Amino acid sequence: MTGFAELLFSGLMSGLIIGLAGLAVTLVFGIARFSNAATGDTMTLGAYGALVGSAFTGSVILGSLIGLAAGALASVVSYLLVFRPLQGRSPISSLLASIGLAFFIRAIIGLVFGHDQNVFQLDIVRPIKFAGIRIQPNDLKFAAVAISTLAVVFIILHLTPIGRRMRAVADNPLLAKVSGISPRPVMLALWSIAGAVSAIAGIILGMKTVVSPESGWEMLLPAFAAAVLGGIGHPIGAIVGGLLIGVAQELATPFVGFTYKIAVSFIVLLLVLLIRPKGLFGRSEGVR
Amino acid sequence: MEAYLIAIGIFAGIYLLLALGLNLQFGMTGLINFGHVGFFCIGAYTSALLATNGVPVALSLAAGGFAAMLAAWPLGVVSIRLREDYFAIASLGFSEIVRLVVTSEGWLTKGVQGIPGIPRIFPGVSSQMQSMLMFGLVMVLCLLAILAMRRIVKSPFGRMIEAIRDNEEAVRSLGKEPAGFKMQVLLLGSLLAGVAGGLYAHYIGYISPDQFIPFITFQIWMAIIMGGVGRISGTVAGVIILMTFLEGSRFLRDVAPFIPEVAMASIRLGVIGLALMLFTIYRPQGLMGDYTKR
Repeated sequence: MTGFAELLFSGLMSGLIIGLAGLAVTLVFGIARFSNAATGDTMTLGAYGALVGSAFTGSVILGSLIGLAAGALASVVSYLLVFRPLQGRSPISSLLASIGLAFFIRAIIGLVFGHDQNVFQLDIVRPIKFAGIRIQPNDLKFAAVAISTLAVVFIILHLTPIGRRMRAVADNPLLAKVSGISPRPVMLALWSIAGAVSAIAGIILGMKTVVSPESGWEMLLPAFAAAVLGGIGHPIGAIVGGLLIGVAQELATPFVGFTYKIAVSFIVLLLVLLIRPKGLFGRSEGVR
Repeated sequence: MEAYLIAIGIFAGIYLLLALGLNLQFGMTGLINFGHVGFFCIGAYTSALLATNGVPVALSLAAGGFAAMLAAWPLGVVSIRLREDYFAIASLGFSEIVRLVVTSEGWLTKGVQGIPGIPRIFPGVSSQMQSMLMFGLVMVLCLLAILAMRRIVKSPFGRMIEAIRDNEEAVRSLGKEPAGFKMQVLLLGSLLAGVAGGLYAHYIGYISPDQFIPFITFQIWMAIIMGGVGRISGTVAGVIILMTFLEGSRFLRDVAPFIPEVAMASIRLGVIGLALMLFTIYRPQGLMGDYTKR
């Protein structure tokens, strides 16, 4: 039973990371209307930014803030240089360009930092026992960071003027335009939020495991699966989807083995597309 | 030098088979297949495994193509009716799962160690003759594929898939169901990719999972986009540019040996990525496309 509880806990932890990445995917999809395949590599970029930042400042927290800023900045720059010129064209163009961008980011990271795995210098702490479950105190901190990130994103989306405009554009871009909402600040806000959220997901992932140029790309499929499961364009859905996939991955591990863990998100993705393409919370707009 | 050119020619032919399949799928039908390398991989492994276990090569090559087609069918059933970008993601996932299975099922595929000693296609000839015959075979297959594509473009089927690409709703309103046509196109492209995979495995003689990464898929994508989507001449031109680039980057290492191979791999990745971005932004119709419009 404690084995089960521990799997559940670690599933929730990886689910939070998947959920954050899925949130970045779903926000971009909801407002900019295309699937951003560069999300994974923005995560990697954030993690490397945090590595460099913490080596530079000597503090993991300051370093993480630098990584966060790097992710947000890269995301905004990619909007200005790549995705803004493609606005108004088919979403396929943006999707293709985002794949190119993903490769480009990964190539730069590979060139600058090499292909070795890097780890964050975190203090090793004794796991605490809670109701018979061993819990790493660091995991609790990561969870707190992830949950506060979510809280900030939802506060921005629902309690600030720019958030209201973002939701208006997501809801109906034409109507938003005729109501006098200028798309530019909305897009800038969107891309900086999406970049920052991806970077945080990448940093937590890097702290829990290792940082390598490929680590973000490998999160792309789970992130998409989470976004689709939750109903694409639906922020809470992405989080719930991420948590479900994270738990499903961990619970499936004893049965299918460690290597097929990643396959779980693909199976989930296919099942959702087959049975309920609009996802758990999605609206029924054109999925098919 | 001659042997080197023939070797490049063989690779270019294999890439061309892949690109022709993808051009049929994306260029003519608008089907966004991000998992092309998965079918290439299935063809390569099927043919290699059968041939190393004593099946005649001609038969194993055909089986490779057939297996790729067979694998495409369930993917199509599940996802071909979905909106185009959902299919893109599902197919990308598919190719990653294929690689995962090939990596994990060591009892069958020897896992990351790969399969060595895959028999050559023409037994009992000198290695020079082998390359010549191989080159001939690949070129004949490419020619056949190109002729088939031309036939398809001119046929009612070709007009139908181009109509699906241009306006799926209109096709549906005329009482035709696009999904069936898309499925046929998916299967045809996968057949080509599977045969290309078999040729690759028998030519190289050794395959392992890390030869079948998504980067291969997007190299082919870059080739067809750079050449000109939907045009056979564009596909050929794109593959030539791609091969020139890939081989040129190898030459660059001979000239500048201080660049380590891992860095060169990153440079290749970055250049392909950059080309994908620049072409989709500035020249979506490709080099061979219409020059009068932007």
